[in-house]
Amino acid sequence: MNGVAELLRHPALWRGGDAGAPETVPTGFRALDARLPGGGWPLATLIELLLPAAGVGEIRLLLPALKRLAMVEDAAPRWVAWLAPPHLPYAPALADAGLDPARMLVVRPRAGSDRLWAMEQALRSGACAAVLCWAGTADGTALRRLKLAAEEGGTPAFLLRPVAHRGDGSPATLRLALAAREFGLDVEILKSRGGAPARVERLPIH
Amino acid sequence: MFEPRPAPIVPAAASRRRVLVPLPAPAASPAPGRDELWLAAHFPRLPLDALLPGTRQARAAVVTAPDDPRRTVVACNERAARQGIAPGMGLNAALARVPGLRVEEQRPAAEAALLDRLGRWALQYTPAVSLEPPGAVLAEVRGSLGLFGGAMALLRRALAGLSANGLSASLALAPTPRAALWLARAELALTVTRVDALPGIAARLPLACLHWPEDTVATLAGLGIASVAELVRLPRTGFAARFGPRLLDDLDEGFGRRAAPRRRYVVPERFDERFELPAPAEAVALVEPALEHGLARLEAFLRARASGIRVLRVDLLHRARDPTRLSLALARMAGDAAGLRRLLRERLGRCRLEAPVDALRLRSGVLLPLHIRDAGLFERGCSADPEATARLLDLLRARLGHDAVFSVRPVAEHRPERAFRIAEPGLEAGLPVPWPAARPARPLWMLAEPQPLDGWDGTLVTGPERIETGWWDGHDVRRDYYVAMSRAGVRLWIFRERPPGQRWFLHGVFG
Repeated sequence: MNGVAELLRHPALWRGGDAGAPETVPTGFRALDARLPGGGWPLATLIELLLPAAGVGEIRLLLPALKRLAMVEDAAPRWVAWLAPPHLPYAPALADAGLDPARMLVVRPRAGSDRLWAMEQALRSGACAAVLCWAGTADGTALRRLKLAAEEGGTPAFLLRPVAHRGDGSPATLRLALAAREFGLDVEILKSRGGAPARVERLPIH
Repeated sequence: MFEPRPAPIVPAAASRRRVLVPLPAPAASPAPGRDELWLAAHFPRLPLDALLPGTRQARAAVVTAPDDPRRTVVACNERAARQGIAPGMGLNAALARVPGLRVEEQRPAAEAALLDRLGRWALQYTPAVSLEPPGAVLAEVRGSLGLFGGAMALLRRALAGLSANGLSASLALAPTPRAALWLARAELALTVTRVDALPGIAARLPLACLHWPEDTVATLAGLGIASVAELVRLPRTGFAARFGPRLLDDLDEGFGRRAAPRRRYVVPERFDERFELPAPAEAVALVEPALEHGLARLEAFLRARASGIRVLRVDLLHRARDPTRLSLALARMAGDAAGLRRLLRERLGRCRLEAPVDALRLRSGVLLPLHIRDAGLFERGCSADPEATARLLDLLRARLGHDAVFSVRPVAEHRPERAFRIAEPGLEAGLPVPWPAARPARPLWMLAEPQPLDGWDGTLVTGPERIETGWWDGHDVRRDYYVAMSRAGVRLWIFRERPPGQRWFLHGVFG
């Protein structure tokens, strides 16, 4: 038995089952990775980021991970979906950051209720490497649906909401509150499955 | 080898360049088996006419090549040509000549659609019509000359029909399709009805009318060859060895020494059926059974033809008012009722019935051959099914509207608000590698319009970056950009207008 187990660990052996996604993707910030279970953003689940204001640095925080998720060469290319972003993602800046704008799918629904619907569809389709959605109020049922859709589609779901929702209950696997500082970004881990609440100060986002 | 022989040549009527004058009755009977006469219609401004119909071209307008950093002009209208603009010019050079120029980006799909319409137009003269993409239509009209009152009358009629539709065309008649194309492209107001007359006009055909690869034409020009007549005097074997047998065949086809069968243009088949409802339906749910029936019919129709569709129009017909029109434009070809039903349900769910529905009408777009895709053996668990992306796109657009879903692309331009464009989502197009980023950082968010910042008290972090450009096209930009930090800690991209403006504006957020 031991021999078989050892054989299966051989690096040259490729198995159909383990070509799936790893459990996490590094955030690109060592201080944050150290605090997160698995050492990065959990994949195929719901992650909630609570912001004091749109633009505090949430995209710069996610950029390294988005790059890792979206710019995979050998897999069939997938989109990064931006649902109801507060402003238009700026193509030259995305290109500078190493994200191919052609892989960006921007969705601007007119009605607020369509945001979570669109997010669920994008997650469930499996056509997206990551889904980012800017939303306001969302009840527990809607959030649970999103989490299930993320698991089903194997897609990380980043839900960005105002920090006013900090007190609401949430089924998200990971919940972070962000705060801008003069140099960097403060990240407070409010909830983390398999980890502990923590604070990471002054992440060097550029 | 090809001996140029003297042949009857009829010069153009001096006054109007594009009116063609036919030969007087041909002296000799045409050679057996060569009893054809081809009408070629060449549309030099098709890229422009496809986007702006002729009547709306009062201003100078150009069409530029898509995804070309230099934005080369591919076509321009008469007014632009008069002001010194010519195809092949960069857009900046064109804008420098005509500041108020109207600029459109080339859309090959619109051109193909227009050429298709032109093919249908040509069917009024003869059933033997053939398209020559990108910009010409051919029709074999020998048998129709009697009906239309001779070659002259037919040409006049065709030209009048085209110019009434605002299309600029150059027409020619010749006994072989390729020679007719050459004549039309050369815009020689000439008509040749006999094969043995062709070598005689070869001296007046420039090499450009052959539409050969640019480097071949350049090489030939370097050899001192300027016309087709000089070309055919070259030794055959040497020519074939140097430029390949295909170009030699091209010449032989033109001079009728080689048969050149052409694919006939057939009017595309479409699905168009009407389905009556048993009773006027007042709710969307009551329309569904008829829709179901219609989709099943459509599916059978498509399956019988091994085809799929990209466009489906559904009209809900009312008794005494205009129909409610729904239209589905799909990112992925669909041939099955199930997929279409799901999308139509989303669309119908958002639709409010203004009046009871009496009947449905289902119309398909052009039928497209359906490719059957093999399921991959080693598809990775995490990678996307290539169709999943298209399915998602269709689903989002069916509910949110076509324009609510898009992608963005960078554009090589110094003015920040013009350095990107909205694009159709598609995963194929990649970045030019390496992407030049030799300039200060840009924000990840861009505001739709710069917002005036009055009474603002943040701090400047870096800057200034001076952007001063665009004086030539009326969208002059003279600004000093700074990276700044708002009191809430948000990094902003702001600018101050250069004198005399001096006002501060917010233009981007670093996100």
